[in-house]
Amino acid sequence: MDVSAFPPIIRTTRSPSFTILTSPSLSNFTKTRKVKPGVLTQHSLAPVAALSDPFVLQIAESLEDSLPSFSSNLQKLRDFSSESLLSTPWPSRKDEPFRFTDTSFIKQSEIIPVSSPPPPESLNNLSVLEATHLLNLTIIDGYIIDSLSQLSGLPNGVFVGSVSSINSTEITKRVLQFLPISIQGDLFLSLNGVGSPDLVVVYVPEGCKIEGLLHLRCISSEGGNKDSKKLPVSNPRVLVVVEKGGEIGIVEEYMGGDGDLSYWTNSVMEMVIGEEAKVSHSYIQTQSLSSAHIKWTSIQQEKSSSYELIEVSTGGKLSRHNVHVQQVWSDTITGLSTFHLSGSNQTQDLHSKIVLDHPRGFSRQLHKCIVAHSHGQAVFDGNIKVNRFAQQTDAGQLTRSLILEPRATVNVKPNLQIIADDVKCSHGAAIYDLEEDQLFYLQARGIDLKTARKALIVSFGAEVIERFPSKDLRKKVELHVKKLLDPEVHVENSM
Amino acid sequence: MLPREVHVSYLPTLSNPCSFLLPRLPKPPPMALLHRFGCYSSPSPPPSISITKSTSQSVFFSASALPRSRRYPRRFPSFRLTATLATETPAGSVSDGGGGPPKLLLEVKDLTAVISESGKKILNGVNLSIYEGEIHAIMGKNGSGKSTFAKVLVGHKDYEVTGGSVVFKGENLLEMEPEDRSLAGLFLSFQSPVEIPGVSNSDFLQMAYNARRRKLGLPELDPLQFYGYIMPKLEMVNIKVDFLNRNVNEGFSGGEKKRNEILQLAVLGAELAILDEIDSGLDVDALRDVSKAVNALLTPTNSVLMITHYRRLLEFIKPNYIHIMDEGRISKTGDISIANILEKEGYKAM
Repeated sequence: MDVSAFPPIIRTTRSPSFTILTSPSLSNFTKTRKVKPGVLTQHSLAPVAALSDPFVLQIAESLEDSLPSFSSNLQKLRDFSSESLLSTPWPSRKDEPFRFTDTSFIKQSEIIPVSSPPPPESLNNLSVLEATHLLNLTIIDGYIIDSLSQLSGLPNGVFVGSVSSINSTEITKRVLQFLPISIQGDLFLSLNGVGSPDLVVVYVPEGCKIEGLLHLRCISSEGGNKDSKKLPVSNPRVLVVVEKGGEIGIVEEYMGGDGDLSYWTNSVMEMVIGEEAKVSHSYIQTQSLSSAHIKWTSIQQEKSSSYELIEVSTGGKLSRHNVHVQQVWSDTITGLSTFHLSGSNQTQDLHSKIVLDHPRGFSRQLHKCIVAHSHGQAVFDGNIKVNRFAQQTDAGQLTRSLILEPRATVNVKPNLQIIADDVKCSHGAAIYDLEEDQLFYLQARGIDLKTARKALIVSFGAEVIERFPSKDLRKKVELHVKKLLDPEVHVENSM
Repeated sequence: MLPREVHVSYLPTLSNPCSFLLPRLPKPPPMALLHRFGCYSSPSPPPSISITKSTSQSVFFSASALPRSRRYPRRFPSFRLTATLATETPAGSVSDGGGGPPKLLLEVKDLTAVISESGKKILNGVNLSIYEGEIHAIMGKNGSGKSTFAKVLVGHKDYEVTGGSVVFKGENLLEMEPEDRSLAGLFLSFQSPVEIPGVSNSDFLQMAYNARRRKLGLPELDPLQFYGYIMPKLEMVNIKVDFLNRNVNEGFSGGEKKRNEILQLAVLGAELAILDEIDSGLDVDALRDVSKAVNALLTPTNSVLMITHYRRLLEFIKPNYIHIMDEGRISKTGDISIANILEKEGYKAM
């Protein structure tokens, strides 16, 4: 990782962004400087846009209609979300957070909320679910499916399930106090708040360390035909609360149902990590290439807590992951390792934000992406904010992109905003084809160029994949990625 | 200097001892005689051959005068060579076994090369001939072109050959792709091997070894079979098994990188192994391990070209010839005595 110490700087404008449209020689390198100052978004500058967007209201209404009338537990969240929807228009390319990400695929589809859990008889046909004896909770279209879940063996006091089935008022109260975790969200976060049929709760009491990984299997089973324009939308929502000294490893996996269906998964996971608590979060997204996958992951970290995200996203025609980590007290450890693969006509987007407000935070971010299709796109906006009191912060960020086809696009915007004056921060961005030296090394051992290229492409993502906490997971994801990068590989046990 | 005696003994464990027993001893070439070099062979009955050779240290050749036919017999340190240590060598190089003269393995003539990017001249007419079974060493100042020469031989794209010829085993090496040069039996142990994160050593070695087997028309090995093949090689280079799970050269110490290069040599085998500063950054123990492995890999038909700054390495792997490289050409050629002078007086003495 590139490490360099920055002199104390105060930045009021965002750092320049790079738009790179590649030709094989990478010669077409244009650098555009953003002139618009400040962090205000476009719509709040223009009074007209502050009015309600009829299209958004229409979606919100249909989402509300799709849900059973009243849920006391979620009402506060729904009200809060509805209110913010009133002043949030559908994002356009003029809005900074969506400058490189085109959401028209969703907008131009016929959006239909999924209004009920899947009928039990349809579950037998879901080939994506392999039998497992590991701790797991299956969520289909936002609804918990108990018959496909296996939660026995959880330690006492740990709760995993629907908020409505928590049998302790104390825990219910404790959990709901965090709703909604107030962050600067966007339209999609609010839509989820309005449309989520249930709240999945993972509660780890004080000092409880859970062995083994908890697997959350999120499946989108309702789907329109690829060309039908129908886009069933589901809004899964998970809240994780880990009390002081607790530890848990969560695998959050998004899969499609059978076939290449179009659907829209608009998912949210919120997490509150208590003092000295530890969470390892593995996130795998392999949904249909005709789907939209919009995800919010919002983390709050208490004193000396540690959060580690390892992500591999390969699915979706439009896939966007918003990761927001907020430090609420000092000495936190945050690790984000993400690998995006855009192997067909698809957009893979990561918008991450780490906000450090307190001393001695430590964060490391590694983002890697491969664009292996001429109409593929990868977007990365990685913001790290080191505020006035976040002295002795050590923040590192590195992004690397591999562009394998002419006209494939990568938009990266790594940016640090530093106000504290005693910090160590670094960032680096590199966009390249494969390393000549590495290719030559393999060739010099008798490996032909094609095989060498393949090995290096697969290895590019391996740096992230090998950080997954279990060997099975690493194997599974590695095979999946290999298969996507090389259709000739016939893998029986693919994902 | 006193005449040297070199004893070579082959144990009868060799797969085909006969091919080695029939003397591969060179007929004393006329040029050598002119230069007061004498080779006397006294074939003793199997299983051992002893070669007695006297050399004169005072004779140096300049590069242009290097006689093609001047050959030393291979000086073998007395080591045990067992069949398991011999690697399959790529096609077509089976020892002639019939006692003919050693074959010319590599012939470099007037080789000139530039850095592709800047056009800067690096090699200014290198001439070098290596016969089967010979050990050569190249020494020279920093920047004299030693490593460049090695990289040009294996086809590194940073350099462009502007003139001259390189013939390896009768074929024009310069027309071959890097992978074909490797498959033909040329191996370069890199001075600073590149790190390849995400590719494990075992995958890499298996990939490379299977490429070789394909070339030889042999069935590829599956991971389990390969494991069986590689275990003795690991032992030979004194490397732990968990090394295989690590990524290629990633986070390796200097010594580990060099051992890894030699492990690759052990796995793949080579008729001509070019060792570019395998001694740099090694402590004495590691150097001994690495040299031992190299010596164990030597057979009467394969050859070694070492590049080094220090005489220390030459005490472990004893060369037949030492060449001094200067400003992109070989300016002097001689025996170990050159290294002794260098050690004492530096390159100005050359």
